[in-house]
Amino acid sequence: MSSVAENIPATFSPPNLYYNSAMTAPTDRDLIVSAMRGDGDAFGELVARYQTNVFNVCYRILHERGEAEDLAQETFLRAHQRLDQFDFEREFGPWVRRVAANLCLNHLESQKVAAPLDEDRDADESQRPERQVEVRERSEQIRGALASLPPHYRVVVELRHYQEMSYDEIAAELKIPLSDVKSHLFRARKLLAEKLHAPD
Amino acid sequence: MHLTDDQLNEYLDNETAERAQIETHLASCADCATRLTALQTLFAEIESLPDLALSRSLAPRLTPHALALPRWLTLTATLQAALALIAILLAAPVFATRLPVIQMPSFADLLLQLQSQWALFFDTITTYQLPTLPQLPPLEISTFVLSFTLAGASLLWLVGNGLLLRKQIRN
Repeated sequence: MSSVAENIPATFSPPNLYYNSAMTAPTDRDLIVSAMRGDGDAFGELVARYQTNVFNVCYRILHERGEAEDLAQETFLRAHQRLDQFDFEREFGPWVRRVAANLCLNHLESQKVAAPLDEDRDADESQRPERQVEVRERSEQIRGALASLPPHYRVVVELRHYQEMSYDEIAAELKIPLSDVKSHLFRARKLLAEKLHAPD
Repeated sequence: MHLTDDQLNEYLDNETAERAQIETHLASCADCATRLTALQTLFAEIESLPDLALSRSLAPRLTPHALALPRWLTLTATLQAALALIAILLAAPVFATRLPVIQMPSFADLLLQLQSQWALFFDTITTYQLPTLPQLPPLEISTFVLSFTLAGASLLWLVGNGLLLRKQIRN
Protein backbone atom coordinates (compact mmCIF):
# COMPACT_ATOMS: atom_id res chain seq x y z
CA MET A 1 0.00 0.00 0.00
CA SER A 2 1.32 3.41 -0.91
CA SER A 3 1.95 5.75 1.98
CA VAL A 4 0.31 9.14 2.43
CA ALA A 5 3.61 10.91 1.87
CA GLU A 6 4.11 9.17 -1.47
CA ASN A 7 0.80 10.49 -2.74
CA ILE A 8 1.54 14.10 -1.87
CA PRO A 9 2.94 15.94 -4.89
CA ALA A 10 6.51 17.09 -4.36
CA THR A 11 5.81 20.50 -5.93
CA PHE A 12 3.13 21.36 -3.42
CA SER A 13 3.66 24.23 -1.01
CA PRO A 14 1.68 23.73 2.20
CA PRO A 15 -1.14 26.27 2.51
CA ASN A 16 -2.77 27.62 5.59
CA LEU A 17 -4.66 30.30 3.77
CA TYR A 18 -8.23 29.19 4.28
CA TYR A 19 -8.45 30.79 7.68
CA ASN A 20 -8.22 34.22 6.12
CA SER A 21 -10.98 35.08 3.69
CA ALA A 22 -9.07 38.12 2.43
CA MET A 23 -6.43 35.86 0.89
CA THR A 24 -6.78 33.68 -2.18
CA ALA A 25 -8.92 30.61 -1.49
CA PRO A 26 -6.87 27.40 -1.55
CA THR A 27 -7.63 24.84 -4.24
CA ASP A 28 -9.18 21.49 -3.44
CA ARG A 29 -5.78 19.95 -4.06
CA ASP A 30 -4.16 22.19 -1.44
CA LEU A 31 -6.87 21.30 1.07
CA ILE A 32 -6.55 17.58 0.39
CA VAL A 33 -2.80 17.68 0.98
CA SER A 34 -3.27 19.60 4.24
CA ALA A 35 -5.98 17.14 5.32
CA MET A 36 -3.64 14.24 4.55
CA ARG A 37 -1.13 15.84 6.90
CA GLY A 38 -3.74 15.82 9.67
CA ASP A 39 -5.19 19.31 9.29
CA GLY A 40 -8.82 18.96 10.39
CA ASP A 41 -9.74 22.50 9.36
CA ALA A 42 -8.65 21.81 5.78
CA PHE A 43 -10.90 18.77 5.63
CA GLY A 44 -13.71 20.83 7.20
CA GLU A 45 -13.33 23.33 4.35
CA LEU A 46 -13.63 20.51 1.80
CA VAL A 47 -16.77 19.28 3.54
CA ALA A 48 -18.23 22.79 3.47
CA ARG A 49 -17.53 23.03 -0.28
CA TYR A 50 -19.08 19.72 -1.29
CA GLN A 51 -21.65 18.90 1.37
CA THR A 52 -24.64 20.16 -0.65
CA ASN A 53 -23.50 18.26 -3.73
CA VAL A 54 -22.98 15.06 -1.80
CA PHE A 55 -26.23 15.45 0.12
CA ASN A 56 -28.15 15.81 -3.16
CA VAL A 57 -26.57 12.65 -4.57
CA CYS A 58 -27.74 10.81 -1.45
CA TYR A 59 -31.16 12.44 -1.52
CA ARG A 60 -31.78 11.58 -5.18
CA ILE A 61 -31.00 7.94 -4.46
CA LEU A 62 -32.53 7.56 -0.98
CA HIS A 63 -35.40 10.08 -1.09
CA GLU A 64 -35.37 10.59 2.66
CA ARG A 65 -33.75 13.70 4.12
CA GLY A 66 -32.54 12.27 7.44
CA GLU A 67 -31.01 9.21 5.80
CA ALA A 68 -29.50 11.33 3.05
CA GLU A 69 -27.81 13.61 5.60
CA ASP A 70 -26.50 10.62 7.56
CA LEU A 71 -25.13 9.01 4.41
CA ALA A 72 -23.61 12.32 3.30
CA GLN A 73 -21.78 12.48 6.62
CA GLU A 74 -20.69 8.86 6.26
CA THR A 75 -19.46 9.68 2.75
CA PHE A 76 -17.09 12.33 4.08
CA LEU A 77 -15.84 10.00 6.81
CA ARG A 78 -15.07 7.37 4.17
CA ALA A 79 -13.48 9.98 1.95
CA HIS A 80 -11.22 11.06 4.81
CA GLN A 81 -10.20 7.48 5.50
CA ARG A 82 -9.40 6.98 1.81
CA LEU A 83 -7.59 10.25 1.15
CA ASP A 84 -4.36 8.31 0.69
CA GLN A 85 -5.99 6.57 -2.29
CA PHE A 86 -7.03 9.86 -3.91
CA ASP A 87 -5.67 10.35 -7.42
CA PHE A 88 -4.37 13.92 -7.72
CA GLU A 89 -4.90 13.83 -11.48
CA ARG A 90 -8.66 13.80 -10.88
CA GLU A 91 -11.15 16.19 -9.31
CA PHE A 92 -12.25 15.81 -5.70
CA GLY A 93 -15.94 16.63 -6.40
CA PRO A 94 -16.68 13.76 -8.83
CA TRP A 95 -14.64 11.39 -6.65
CA VAL A 96 -16.55 12.14 -3.46
CA ARG A 97 -19.88 12.01 -5.33
CA ARG A 98 -19.03 8.53 -6.59
CA VAL A 99 -18.19 7.46 -3.03
CA ALA A 100 -21.62 8.78 -2.00
CA ALA A 101 -23.44 6.90 -4.79
CA ASN A 102 -21.73 3.64 -3.86
CA LEU A 103 -22.49 4.09 -0.18
CA CYS A 104 -26.16 4.76 -0.94
CA LEU A 105 -26.37 1.68 -3.14
CA ASN A 106 -24.87 -0.48 -0.38
CA HIS A 107 -27.27 1.10 2.09
CA LEU A 108 -30.30 0.36 -0.11
CA GLU A 109 -29.16 -3.19 -0.73
CA SER A 110 -28.73 -3.78 2.99
CA GLN A 111 -32.22 -2.44 3.66
CA LYS A 112 -34.11 -4.24 0.87
CA VAL A 113 -37.21 -2.31 1.91
CA ALA A 114 -38.68 0.54 -0.08
CA ALA A 115 -38.28 3.72 1.94
CA PRO A 116 -41.27 6.03 2.15
CA LEU A 117 -41.02 9.22 0.18
CA ASP A 118 -39.90 12.29 2.05
CA GLU A 119 -42.25 15.21 2.37
CA ASP A 120 -39.53 17.60 1.34
CA ARG A 121 -40.36 20.27 -1.17
CA ASP A 122 -38.43 21.49 -4.16
CA ALA A 123 -38.81 25.21 -4.57
CA ASP A 124 -36.92 27.94 -6.31
CA GLU A 125 -37.55 31.17 -4.41
CA SER A 126 -36.53 33.29 -7.39
CA GLN A 127 -39.61 32.25 -9.39
CA ARG A 128 -43.24 33.41 -9.29
CA PRO A 129 -45.44 31.54 -6.76
CA GLU A 130 -47.49 29.74 -9.46
CA ARG A 131 -44.33 28.69 -11.28
CA GLN A 132 -42.79 27.61 -7.97
CA VAL A 133 -45.78 25.34 -7.34
CA GLU A 134 -45.50 23.85 -10.85
CA VAL A 135 -41.76 23.23 -10.49
CA ARG A 136 -42.25 21.74 -7.06
CA GLU A 137 -45.00 19.40 -8.21
CA ARG A 138 -43.04 18.23 -11.24
CA SER A 139 -39.91 17.76 -9.14
CA GLU A 140 -41.89 15.69 -6.69
CA GLN A 141 -43.19 13.55 -9.55
CA ILE A 142 -39.67 13.01 -10.88
CA ARG A 143 -38.31 12.22 -7.41
CA GLY A 144 -41.24 9.86 -6.85
CA ALA A 145 -40.58 8.10 -10.14
CA LEU A 146 -36.86 7.79 -9.32
CA ALA A 147 -37.68 6.44 -5.86
CA SER A 148 -39.85 3.71 -7.37
CA LEU A 149 -36.90 2.28 -9.34
CA PRO A 150 -34.89 -0.69 -8.06
CA PRO A 151 -31.67 0.40 -6.22
CA HIS A 152 -29.29 -0.55 -9.05
CA TYR A 153 -31.33 1.38 -11.60
CA ARG A 154 -31.36 4.48 -9.38
CA VAL A 155 -27.61 4.46 -8.98
CA VAL A 156 -26.97 3.97 -12.69
CA VAL A 157 -29.31 6.90 -13.47
CA GLU A 158 -27.48 9.00 -10.85
CA LEU A 159 -24.05 8.20 -12.28
CA ARG A 160 -25.10 8.75 -15.89
CA HIS A 161 -27.40 11.77 -15.64
CA TYR A 162 -26.07 13.67 -12.63
CA GLN A 163 -22.43 12.67 -12.59
CA GLU A 164 -22.11 12.39 -16.38
CA MET A 165 -20.09 9.19 -16.32
CA SER A 166 -19.64 7.02 -19.42
CA TYR A 167 -20.95 3.46 -19.61
CA ASP A 168 -17.42 2.11 -19.11
CA GLU A 169 -16.82 4.33 -16.08
CA ILE A 170 -20.11 3.24 -14.50
CA ALA A 171 -19.27 -0.42 -15.13
CA ALA A 172 -15.88 0.05 -13.47
CA GLU A 173 -17.32 2.02 -10.56
CA LEU A 174 -20.09 -0.47 -9.79
CA LYS A 175 -18.00 -3.49 -10.80
CA ILE A 176 -20.71 -4.81 -13.11
CA PRO A 177 -20.55 -5.82 -16.81
CA LEU A 178 -21.08 -3.16 -19.48
CA SER A 179 -24.17 -5.03 -20.69
CA ASP A 180 -25.71 -4.67 -17.19
CA VAL A 181 -25.03 -0.94 -17.18
CA LYS A 182 -26.89 -0.56 -20.46
CA SER A 183 -29.80 -2.78 -19.50
CA HIS A 184 -30.21 -1.08 -16.09
CA LEU A 185 -30.04 2.38 -17.61
CA PHE A 186 -32.37 1.74 -20.55
CA ARG A 187 -34.92 -0.08 -18.42
CA ALA A 188 -34.77 2.66 -15.81
CA ARG A 189 -35.49 5.29 -18.47
CA LYS A 190 -38.36 3.24 -19.85
CA LEU A 191 -39.90 2.92 -16.38
CA LEU A 192 -39.42 6.64 -15.72
CA ALA A 193 -41.05 7.53 -19.04
CA GLU A 194 -44.01 5.30 -18.26
CA LYS A 195 -44.48 6.95 -14.86
CA LEU A 196 -43.88 10.53 -15.91
CA HIS A 197 -45.60 10.54 -19.28
CA ALA A 198 -48.50 8.26 -18.47
CA PRO A 199 -51.87 9.84 -19.39
CA ASP A 200 -53.81 11.03 -16.29
CA MET B 1 -37.07 -0.87 -40.21
CA HIS B 2 -36.98 1.42 -37.17
CA LEU B 3 -34.16 2.16 -34.74
CA THR B 4 -34.19 0.16 -31.52
CA ASP B 5 -34.57 1.76 -28.07
CA ASP B 6 -30.98 0.75 -27.33
CA GLN B 7 -29.74 2.58 -30.43
CA LEU B 8 -31.62 5.75 -29.46
CA ASN B 9 -30.33 5.60 -25.89
CA GLU B 10 -26.76 5.05 -27.00
CA TYR B 11 -27.06 7.87 -29.54
CA LEU B 12 -28.20 10.37 -26.92
CA ASP B 13 -25.53 9.16 -24.49
CA ASN B 14 -22.82 9.60 -27.16
CA GLU B 15 -21.93 5.95 -26.75
CA THR B 16 -22.44 4.65 -30.27
CA ALA B 17 -20.14 4.00 -33.21
CA GLU B 18 -23.11 4.15 -35.62
CA ARG B 19 -23.75 7.86 -35.22
CA ALA B 20 -23.81 8.70 -38.93
CA GLN B 21 -26.16 5.84 -39.84
CA ILE B 22 -28.55 6.72 -37.01
CA GLU B 23 -28.67 10.38 -38.08
CA THR B 24 -29.36 9.37 -41.68
CA HIS B 25 -32.25 7.22 -40.51
CA LEU B 26 -33.64 9.92 -38.21
CA ALA B 27 -33.67 12.41 -41.09
CA SER B 28 -36.04 10.18 -43.05
CA CYS B 29 -38.12 8.52 -40.30
CA ALA B 30 -40.68 10.66 -38.45
CA ASP B 31 -41.57 7.87 -35.98
CA CYS B 32 -37.98 7.42 -34.82
CA ALA B 33 -37.47 11.21 -34.69
CA THR B 34 -40.53 11.48 -32.41
CA ARG B 35 -39.22 8.71 -30.17
CA LEU B 36 -35.88 10.47 -29.98
CA THR B 37 -37.56 13.76 -29.01
CA ALA B 38 -39.54 11.98 -26.27
CA LEU B 39 -36.33 10.48 -24.91
CA GLN B 40 -34.63 13.88 -25.02
CA THR B 41 -37.52 15.37 -23.06
CA LEU B 42 -37.14 12.64 -20.44
CA PHE B 43 -33.42 13.39 -20.17
CA ALA B 44 -34.15 17.08 -19.66
CA GLU B 45 -36.73 16.30 -16.98
CA ILE B 46 -34.42 13.97 -15.06
CA GLU B 47 -31.65 16.54 -15.15
CA SER B 48 -33.93 19.42 -14.19
CA LEU B 49 -34.21 18.36 -10.55
CA PRO B 50 -33.14 21.31 -8.38
CA ASP B 51 -30.57 20.82 -5.63
CA LEU B 52 -31.99 20.88 -2.12
CA ALA B 53 -30.31 22.74 0.73
CA LEU B 54 -29.00 20.90 3.76
CA SER B 55 -30.88 21.52 7.00
CA ARG B 56 -27.57 21.70 8.87
CA SER B 57 -23.92 21.93 7.98
CA LEU B 58 -22.00 18.67 8.13
CA ALA B 59 -18.60 20.30 8.60
CA PRO B 60 -18.71 20.96 12.38
CA ARG B 61 -19.91 17.41 13.06
CA LEU B 62 -17.33 15.84 10.82
CA THR B 63 -14.14 17.56 11.81
CA PRO B 64 -13.63 15.80 15.19
CA HIS B 65 -14.44 12.44 13.60
CA ALA B 66 -12.20 13.20 10.69
CA LEU B 67 -9.33 13.74 13.06
CA ALA B 68 -9.83 10.31 14.59
CA LEU B 69 -7.37 7.56 13.78
CA PRO B 70 -7.84 6.09 10.30
CA ARG B 71 -9.37 2.64 10.16
CA TRP B 72 -6.24 0.92 8.85
CA LEU B 73 -4.29 2.27 11.79
CA THR B 74 -6.76 0.98 14.38
CA LEU B 75 -6.75 -2.38 12.63
CA THR B 76 -2.98 -2.40 12.84
CA ALA B 77 -3.16 -1.69 16.58
CA THR B 78 -5.56 -4.61 17.04
CA LEU B 79 -3.29 -6.80 14.97
CA GLN B 80 -0.28 -5.71 17.00
CA ALA B 81 -2.07 -6.57 20.25
CA ALA B 82 -3.00 -10.00 18.92
CA LEU B 83 0.57 -10.65 17.76
CA ALA B 84 1.95 -9.54 21.14
CA LEU B 85 -0.40 -11.96 22.92
CA ILE B 86 0.66 -14.81 20.66
CA ALA B 87 4.34 -13.94 21.24
CA ILE B 88 3.83 -13.98 25.03
CA LEU B 89 2.11 -17.35 24.88
CA LEU B 90 4.91 -18.81 22.75
CA ALA B 91 7.70 -17.30 24.85
CA ALA B 92 6.26 -18.17 28.26
CA PRO B 93 7.40 -21.86 28.35
CA VAL B 94 10.94 -20.92 27.19
CA PHE B 95 11.42 -18.25 29.85
CA ALA B 96 9.78 -20.36 32.54
CA THR B 97 12.55 -22.98 32.25
CA ARG B 98 15.37 -20.39 32.27
CA LEU B 99 14.25 -18.11 35.08
CA PRO B 100 15.31 -19.11 38.63
CA VAL B 101 12.49 -20.43 40.72
CA ILE B 102 11.12 -17.64 42.88
CA GLN B 103 10.80 -18.59 46.54
CA MET B 104 7.57 -17.19 47.89
CA PRO B 105 7.75 -16.33 51.64
CA SER B 106 5.13 -17.89 53.88
CA PHE B 107 2.23 -15.87 55.28
CA ALA B 108 3.69 -16.03 58.81
CA ASP B 109 7.01 -14.60 57.56
CA LEU B 110 5.16 -11.77 55.85
CA LEU B 111 3.28 -10.93 59.06
CA LEU B 112 6.54 -10.95 61.05
CA GLN B 113 8.21 -8.61 58.57
CA LEU B 114 5.21 -6.28 58.67
CA GLN B 115 5.23 -6.25 62.49
CA SER B 116 8.95 -5.45 62.71
CA GLN B 117 8.59 -2.65 60.14
CA TRP B 118 5.69 -1.16 62.12
CA ALA B 119 7.64 -1.36 65.38
CA LEU B 120 10.58 0.42 63.77
CA PHE B 121 8.32 3.16 62.39
CA PHE B 122 6.52 3.61 65.75
CA ASP B 123 9.87 3.83 67.57
CA THR B 124 11.09 6.51 65.14
CA ILE B 125 7.93 8.58 65.59
CA THR B 126 7.94 8.47 69.41
CA THR B 127 11.63 9.34 69.78
CA TYR B 128 11.59 12.15 67.21
CA GLN B 129 13.15 15.42 68.48
CA LEU B 130 11.98 18.70 67.05
CA PRO B 131 14.85 20.94 65.96
CA THR B 132 15.46 23.93 68.25
CA LEU B 133 14.64 27.34 66.81
CA PRO B 134 17.26 30.09 66.94
CA GLN B 135 16.69 32.72 69.63
CA LEU B 136 15.13 35.93 68.28
CA PRO B 137 16.10 39.27 69.79
CA PRO B 138 13.45 40.47 72.27
CA LEU B 139 11.00 43.08 70.87
CA GLU B 140 10.38 46.13 72.98
CA ILE B 141 7.05 47.55 71.83
CA SER B 142 4.99 49.73 74.09
CA THR B 143 1.32 48.96 74.68
CA PHE B 144 0.33 52.29 73.14
CA VAL B 145 2.17 51.63 69.84
CA LEU B 146 0.74 48.09 69.64
CA SER B 147 -2.84 49.33 70.27
CA PHE B 148 -2.42 52.14 67.75
CA THR B 149 -1.08 49.75 65.04
CA LEU B 150 -3.93 47.25 65.61
CA ALA B 151 -6.56 50.03 65.45
CA GLY B 152 -5.02 51.39 62.21
CA ALA B 153 -4.93 47.94 60.59
CA SER B 154 -8.58 47.31 61.59
CA LEU B 155 -9.63 50.65 60.13
CA LEU B 156 -7.82 49.94 56.85
CA TRP B 157 -9.44 46.50 56.67
CA LEU B 158 -12.92 47.96 57.20
CA VAL B 159 -12.45 50.73 54.61
CA GLY B 160 -10.99 48.32 52.06
CA ASN B 161 -13.82 45.79 52.43
CA GLY B 162 -16.40 48.56 52.39
CA LEU B 163 -15.05 49.82 49.05
CA LEU B 164 -15.05 46.31 47.58
CA LEU B 165 -18.63 45.63 48.71
CA ARG B 166 -19.81 48.96 47.30
CA LYS B 167 -18.28 48.11 43.93
CA GLN B 168 -19.95 44.66 43.88
CA ILE B 169 -23.36 46.10 44.80
CA ARG B 170 -23.09 48.65 41.96
CA ASN B 171 -22.32 45.88 39.45
